[in-house]
Amino acid sequence: MSTYNYVVTAHKPTNVTHSCVGNFTGPQELNLIIAKCTRIEIHLLTAHGLQPLLDVPIYGRIATLELFRSHGETQDLLFIATERYKFCVLQWDADAKEVVTRAMGDVSDRIGRPTDNGQIGIIDPDCRLIGLHLYDGLFKVIPFDNKGQLKEAFNIRLEELQVLDIKFLYGCSKPTIVVLYQDNKDARHVKTYEVSLKDKDFVEGPWSQNNLDNGAELLIPVPPPFGGVLIIGEETIVYCSASAFKAIPIRPSITRAYGRVDADGSRYLLGDLSGLLHLLVIVHEKEKVTGLKIELLGETSIASTISYLDNAFVYVGSSYGDSQLIKLNLQPDSKGSYVEVLERYVNLGPIVDFCVVDLERQGQGQVVTCSGAYKDGSLCIVRNGIGINEQASVELQGIKGMWSLRSATDDLYDTFLVVSFINETRILAMNVEDELEESEIEGFCSQVQTLFCHDAVYNQLVQITSSSVRLVSSESRELKNEWFPRPGFSINVATANASQVLLATRGGNLVYLEIENGKLVEINHAELKYDISCLDINPIGENSNRSNLAAVGMWTDISVKIFSLPDLTLKTEDHLGGEIIPRSVLLCAFEGIPYLLCALGDGHLLNYLLDMETGELTDRKKVSLGTQPITLRTFSSKNTTHVFAASDRPTVIYSSNKKLLYSNVNLKEVSHMCPFNSAAFPDSLAIAKEGDLTIGTIDDIQKLHIRSIPLGEHARRICHQETSRTFAICSLKYNQSGTEDSEMHFVRLLDDQTFDVKSSYALDQFEYGCSILSCSFSDDNNAYYCVGTAYVMPEENEPSKGRILVFAVEDRKLQLVAEKETKGAVYSLNAFNGKLLAAINQKIQLYKWMLREDGTRELQSECGHHGHILALYVQTRGDFIVVGDLMKSISLLIYKHEEGAIEERARDYNANWMSAVEILDDDIYLGAENNFNLFTVRKNSEGATDEERGRLEVVGEYHLGEFVNRFRHGSLVMRLPDSDIGQIPTVIFGTVNGVIGVIASLPQEQYLFMEKLQANLRKVIKGVGGLSHEQWRSFYNEKKTADSRNFLDGDLIESFLDLKKNRMEEIAKAMNVSVEEVMKRVEELTRLH
Amino acid sequence: MGSWSVGNWPSFDPHNFSQLRPNDPSSKKTPITYHPTHDRTLPPPDQIISSEAKNILLRQFYQRGDEKLRPKRAAPENLAPEQECKHPRASVALSSEPPK
Repeated sequence: MSTYNYVVTAHKPTNVTHSCVGNFTGPQELNLIIAKCTRIEIHLLTAHGLQPLLDVPIYGRIATLELFRSHGETQDLLFIATERYKFCVLQWDADAKEVVTRAMGDVSDRIGRPTDNGQIGIIDPDCRLIGLHLYDGLFKVIPFDNKGQLKEAFNIRLEELQVLDIKFLYGCSKPTIVVLYQDNKDARHVKTYEVSLKDKDFVEGPWSQNNLDNGAELLIPVPPPFGGVLIIGEETIVYCSASAFKAIPIRPSITRAYGRVDADGSRYLLGDLSGLLHLLVIVHEKEKVTGLKIELLGETSIASTISYLDNAFVYVGSSYGDSQLIKLNLQPDSKGSYVEVLERYVNLGPIVDFCVVDLERQGQGQVVTCSGAYKDGSLCIVRNGIGINEQASVELQGIKGMWSLRSATDDLYDTFLVVSFINETRILAMNVEDELEESEIEGFCSQVQTLFCHDAVYNQLVQITSSSVRLVSSESRELKNEWFPRPGFSINVATANASQVLLATRGGNLVYLEIENGKLVEINHAELKYDISCLDINPIGENSNRSNLAAVGMWTDISVKIFSLPDLTLKTEDHLGGEIIPRSVLLCAFEGIPYLLCALGDGHLLNYLLDMETGELTDRKKVSLGTQPITLRTFSSKNTTHVFAASDRPTVIYSSNKKLLYSNVNLKEVSHMCPFNSAAFPDSLAIAKEGDLTIGTIDDIQKLHIRSIPLGEHARRICHQETSRTFAICSLKYNQSGTEDSEMHFVRLLDDQTFDVKSSYALDQFEYGCSILSCSFSDDNNAYYCVGTAYVMPEENEPSKGRILVFAVEDRKLQLVAEKETKGAVYSLNAFNGKLLAAINQKIQLYKWMLREDGTRELQSECGHHGHILALYVQTRGDFIVVGDLMKSISLLIYKHEEGAIEERARDYNANWMSAVEILDDDIYLGAENNFNLFTVRKNSEGATDEERGRLEVVGEYHLGEFVNRFRHGSLVMRLPDSDIGQIPTVIFGTVNGVIGVIASLPQEQYLFMEKLQANLRKVIKGVGGLSHEQWRSFYNEKKTADSRNFLDGDLIESFLDLKKNRMEEIAKAMNVSVEEVMKRVEELTRLH
Repeated sequence: MGSWSVGNWPSFDPHNFSQLRPNDPSSKKTPITYHPTHDRTLPPPDQIISSEAKNILLRQFYQRGDEKLRPKRAAPENLAPEQECKHPRASVALSSEPPK
């Protein structure tokens, strides 16, 4: 049963909704603050560019973000208002490095009609009050007292009901607002009001202006000395104040974003819906406005927000494309553009549709999204884990170890690759043609297995076998010295660095040698109680050639020990507990912090903080990486050291913000890895896996990899076809020719590797592609693409005509093989019992795929089901059909084969306006609706009465705070069937803000544990701005608010891993379990995404 | 083709962006996610702001009552009988809750 669900973000929102610039973190520090719907990001402007400081989750959807300077303050405060009528004023405490709440509150009214055009929040430039327009006909005032403290809020009646924008005017003795509104004849005007704080009312303002541009939508208040306001229309821009009125015509455009350039308000950057950036200049003489001027600067992403930063650099935040850092050049380039794009910040939003595919056939899902809109539309391929880009591969069975060696100590590149097998050692080397061929190092013993190899000082190489340690010249390749253990005591395990060798023989003998020029010198030995299972002396101190510490893993007492070198004194030891012996230990440093990693035989990994002086081990943490023994090795990528854990589930361990992170490597099973940096294959890794030796480069070390394919048009539906190895998309292209805008809709076929468009099919005029499906039919095994369309006529409320088009892919071209006219929009298509199930307006319709006498095929209507407002989203399972309705929530239908009929079985009687549905299992269905909530309903087959059986019971409710456009079954990570986490079913969702999330159905025991953890975390991790997590996650729509149930917030739960030790202990104590246990269970969940 | 209005861009700190290297991976580093555990996420008690409970009509009604009660210069001594009888009613309105 999928009743208990865990919701977690795999990819955070990237849609930039707001931005502002000010001195937030210090009086002399300039910050860019960006809102991405439910998060804010604080950046610092530096010589090197934007430096990200903090990512702050907000328990609400941000409606307003403003920086302001209160009286007597030396730095700015941040005002945030959320869509659920909460607000807060935040301050940066530079000493504590914390965000502190100065004020907060609830500004909701019990009665009131929420505004249609969004919420408006503004701050008086002289800091006398905050103004909010949240409900039609009301203007809410939160006054400041003269010490900058906020006072009780009150409402003022606002006569204008259709408000488009409100701003405060600068330089007014009384706080004065200017209101842009539309009257009941659809004409637009502006009007000013003074706010009388004493009378709590408006007083008619100094001026007004009637009959503006019909597309006027944006007000820009102009600071002193000019004052007044700019009114941005679609065809004109007007400057208006008590004393002046200036207007200029503009090329028709819809301006959505502006950024003030100069403090005196003489220049503004304007961004429009086609991505053009203009500079608007107020022409003035002696502080009097004499005119306006507008100049095209160039093209950017379609801007939702523009912030002038400093020294001609500008941040362009976008909802429809990638956000950008641009520079305004003094001279235009060859294309006449002043805009130079310096950085792009990938945005997946809006994700309108996506599909989950396994393109590399590695058993791991990748998400391909339809992202962006208008000209910034793209496909994005989102992949979890780190990929290996194979450069060369040979078949080699039974590899037991690998090491790379240089031919001289100070060579840049590796020459040799030593590959060890059970009873031989082979040496591969790069030849002059940059090919890897078998070679020889004469001084090495090649008839036995090599236990360890290393480059050594004085142009020497070290080889350790069970019988001896050999020191070989890397120039002459001849044996220079050999060290033998006592007779009868063969070497079991060994390790070395450039100047030291540590080895263990049977019976727990630990021997320490030093490498000199042409000589191996036994310095010390120690007899331990038990046999030694693994060793390491990786130098992580100041001297990169030698280590002062040695890590030793033990059989029998199952411990790790730290010895000092050269004296082999035991500094510290830790008993691991349990019965699983350590198989690999590694001393390593991440971001300057020394760690000891210890891998166990059952796929678990322990990590400790290591004190380099005392050898003390603290802060033990345990994670499960796989189920098989792990071998640890370091490697470098982009000048940073990482650790590769080879096992049945290879993992890269790296560190970010001083926290260890684990990222999957997209390979099935790796037995050994060693870095191999040769001239032909720079920065590569040699990897032994499943009978192959592969040399490849490694992706950037990060968790999610995104590749975006710009389309220049808006993709709205996507699906993949395995047999033809193609994607098909429904897309629309906007054409702007002169003043007329037109749209063209297409079905396009793309290669699934190159993403080249192979074939396109243009839909009719007014015809939109609404749904797409790859399927085959009963008694016809060919794969087809089916496309459902709608003719969207300007005069119709709902489409009354559409088509189902069936395409075959022949020679990588779309061939239309059948088409069927429908009586409405085909919102959804599903493969169903070898037939085609379509949702057409209010009807569900089933089509058979019939063979005509002439051998061609056609779709023939079989049966249908009426009774929906609009059947928008359909999922099927067996004979069951789950329908998500425009406004009637979820209903369950069943197809009856004998009668050839579809009947309703049950429905949810709530009035949810659906945005996506999915079937979690036979009985539980998942829905997302347009108030950003998720819910689950359960089929009640055991109900006593028809009435009970006919009702889908709501079992789970949760406020996600994101608009979900699509659910798909699948996983972003490689699933191991034999691990616990591999058994957890997951659904992926994509949202308007560019979030990719995962909903995992947990077993009850695990759910209850995590629920308890969440409850405890709520007490420890506070909501920024005093916002409550419990309230934020409560199901919320116009009709009701209900506590979340049967959903858990994975983002909160996984933040446990970011807590300080004492906080973790506090929580673990409250839960009566060990910190280690909580960490392990939370780490496991992080591996779901 | 220069332009008289493009240029002379304002500068807060001339060093900002002076050493920018485009596509430097460190500029895209994900910042630390902030999880406050301190107690100052709640503001001082007097800065937890709520809205005035009285609705606009009652407030105006009461304000007008106040204004009428204010002694007028013309007739400081003798209040009209109607005004006197309005006095207690206004105080009733003050203490009553707004209609639900």
